Amino acid sequence: MTGIVIEGVERSFGSVRAVDGVNLTVGDGEFFTLLGPSGCGKTTLLRMIAGFCELDGGEIRFGAKRIDRLPAHTRDIGMVFQNYAVFPNLTVAGNVAYGLKARRVAGTELARRVDEALALVQLAGYGERWPHQLSGGQLQRVAIARALVIRPQVLLFDEPLSNLDARLRVSMRAEIRELQKSLGITAIYVTHDQEEAMSVSDRIALMQSGKLEQVGAPAEIYRNPTSRFAAEFMGTTNLIEARTLGRDGAGMVSLRPEALRLDSEAPAGWPRVGGVIAHVEILGPITRLDVRLADGSLLKVAALDEPHRTLAPGAAVMLAYDPARVTVLT
Amino acid sequence: MRLAIPHQQRMPLAIAALGFLFLGLFLLYPLFNVFSASVLDADGEKFTLANYFKVLGRPFYRAAVTNTLAIGVTATLTTMLISVPFAFALARLPVPGKAAILALAAMPLVLPSFVSAYAIVLLLGRAGIVTQWLNAWGIGFGSIYGAGGIVLVYTLTLYPYVLLPTMAGFKAVDVSVEEAAQSLGSSPRRTLWTVTLPIVIPSILAGGLLVFIETLENFGVPFVLAEDMPIFAVEAFKLFIGETAPNPSSAGVLGVLLILTTAAVLLIQRRYLSARRFATGARAAPPILRVGTGLRIAAAVYCWTVVLLALVPFFAIVVLSFMEFRGPVLHPNFSLDNFRILFDRSTRPLLNTLLFATMAAIAVTLVGVPIAYVVTRVRSTLATVLDVIATLPFAIAGTVLAIGFVVSFNSGWLILTGGPLIMVLAYTVRKVPFAVRSSSAILHQIDPSLEEASISLGRSPLQTFGRILVPLMLGGILSGFVLTWVTVASELSATVVLYSGSWRTLTVVMFQALESGGGGVATAAASTLIVVTLLPIALLYRLVRRYELS
Repeated sequence: MTGIVIEGVERSFGSVRAVDGVNLTVGDGEFFTLLGPSGCGKTTLLRMIAGFCELDGGEIRFGAKRIDRLPAHTRDIGMVFQNYAVFPNLTVAGNVAYGLKARRVAGTELARRVDEALALVQLAGYGERWPHQLSGGQLQRVAIARALVIRPQVLLFDEPLSNLDARLRVSMRAEIRELQKSLGITAIYVTHDQEEAMSVSDRIALMQSGKLEQVGAPAEIYRNPTSRFAAEFMGTTNLIEARTLGRDGAGMVSLRPEALRLDSEAPAGWPRVGGVIAHVEILGPITRLDVRLADGSLLKVAALDEPHRTLAPGAAVMLAYDPARVTVLT
Repeated sequence: MRLAIPHQQRMPLAIAALGFLFLGLFLLYPLFNVFSASVLDADGEKFTLANYFKVLGRPFYRAAVTNTLAIGVTATLTTMLISVPFAFALARLPVPGKAAILALAAMPLVLPSFVSAYAIVLLLGRAGIVTQWLNAWGIGFGSIYGAGGIVLVYTLTLYPYVLLPTMAGFKAVDVSVEEAAQSLGSSPRRTLWTVTLPIVIPSILAGGLLVFIETLENFGVPFVLAEDMPIFAVEAFKLFIGETAPNPSSAGVLGVLLILTTAAVLLIQRRYLSARRFATGARAAPPILRVGTGLRIAAAVYCWTVVLLALVPFFAIVVLSFMEFRGPVLHPNFSLDNFRILFDRSTRPLLNTLLFATMAAIAVTLVGVPIAYVVTRVRSTLATVLDVIATLPFAIAGTVLAIGFVVSFNSGWLILTGGPLIMVLAYTVRKVPFAVRSSSAILHQIDPSLEEASISLGRSPLQTFGRILVPLMLGGILSGFVLTWVTVASELSATVVLYSGSWRTLTVVMFQALESGGGGVATAAASTLIVVTLLPIALLYRLVRRYELS
């Protein structure tokens, strides 16, 4: 089937290098996510693959076929947009049938495939409805069915969940992942939400200023960030001088809040560091602490809830950390 | 280095190229010829500024400039004076029958203004019905010929240009701004003067500007009412018709001056308005104010009076067209003679009017909608230039454009004079800005990702345009079509320059009847014209209503 190769792709808007020499290989059937803050070039890169944005340099291939100079409508891509982009002048069935009609599918075959696609996104029986009668989540399902029904070589998602409410986002992302895996279509997903990226992706490419910052499996980037940016973007972390923890070397290290524990709750072999509690938040399942160390730096700690513990701002506290989870940043 | 055009840009570039070709040939080229006529000597060979000195050296033409400007400024002020309280009443006061008022208030925009002028003459002119009736009672009043009458007709026919945007402006004021002022201790009256009105001023001025430009370009109203008073557009026409030299230099001078005046006004407006945009982003229209009975009655009487007064001339024309005329003299007996004479002579003028309006409306749609697409969807210098050129006809008087057409297309490789095509082309160029404006307004509301979705599903950009954009824009395209149709049907200023032989329209019949004193035929042509303009509007209104109800 279709892997995607991106080689030396570049694009500038005025003096801004939106995409700056990106090289990527996405495997066949892989769920690949472009993650980064707004303006990092992830959407531009996605639009280059879709054919809505020209390349200044480099090339993009689907399998062995170079596609970056093909007109967008000949690329055989299913795309799901941030604002759904469901055609308001067509019914739900009309929307789903749109791409099939462009491919000259007709008659019973057309009806069968439309029904199949609607059933796949749990909208069976909604064919005759009009888009303005649907909720945001249902519109996004229509958009997904419309993109899937043409059996594209590649599925592109442009922040598809950002207009949905938090609860729906969580259930929809699981659904999208499940659909993609069951159909085996190579997918590229753009988001700025780190948690969403980790939950759906096989691999993530973290982007900043038009460049790839780090590429890898979600857990790998989380656990072994190679840069300060990666460490901070992939969740909360403590960025501190190695010296502060009493370690050798002059560089910065990243230590996740959950790698820190209170002295009494930690294994004996872990190194200790002392400080004063500056702030306590009991969030339910976890308790967040800010602890000020002797040199004035602040450590964020996330501990599981523990009923017999009393913590008050101003109290001295001894912390322990997992030495295996200290990441040295280069 | 590849010179191939990237596929994303192929369709917009093709449209832009065709747009430039059309507007270049039928707008810029004729305008250039008007300009060159004004700076060449009588034989059209040597460069000279003598024409400007000659024309502006004569007090008559200097008076034409000052009269036109003075009338324009006065009419702009009177329309504002009438429309601002009207708009406030419609937006914020409890006035009965608002929907009806709005529908009636929009009518003067589509009805031909010179018909209104002619009706004023029939009613209040020297031999006018009302004049004679008043004279019988021994009451006299000043002449309605000249500046006074022209300003009156402009005020009655052009006030909707200020009313509609101003009302929208009042409705867009975020009520919390007013509440903030009052919570700071400002009385409702003071709040209106210090907060609400200043926010609305850009809308008032934008409308006033339309009125001013309209008065500069108008040919029919001063033609009917000015008598001996020289007016820009009329004198340009007379000079052009009267000039026997191969080079219409004097008409060219007046044409260039007219264009420069309009351009100057537009530039000033751009300067002023671009710095003053007070969008307050109201989520809902501000509430209707609670006021005393006295004010409520006064507001209702005021609104209804203005709306009906503006329509009285048109109503009068229809009534008068069913009366007996002997020459220009009116007799109060019912008669169908006027229509019989009009249509016995020939039904061609009516058919020509219908034919030209239809052809021009189709052409305007075909030219304007694609240009609107490029202007809204492409961000480049090319698109900006196209936008400016496509807006240009708005600032060009019909008379001037028509003179340019005659100069450009009466010889050489493309000869159009003497036929119907030249008229349709002139109408098309004149109305292109309206189609571009109305289409781009809708396009701005259509998310570009709908097009991208269609393209990614396998439809080419051209197919996407036809299958997604056109259906979504249909309402706007249709109302633009009807508006073009209606305004072309009552077009006079370019028509009187360009018509020939059997290609007369209803407006030409009216024009000629006025010149020769055939009042009966003129009223019959005018009422036919009123019916011709109101029918499509009524149809469109019903269509829109049905569409909205379903």
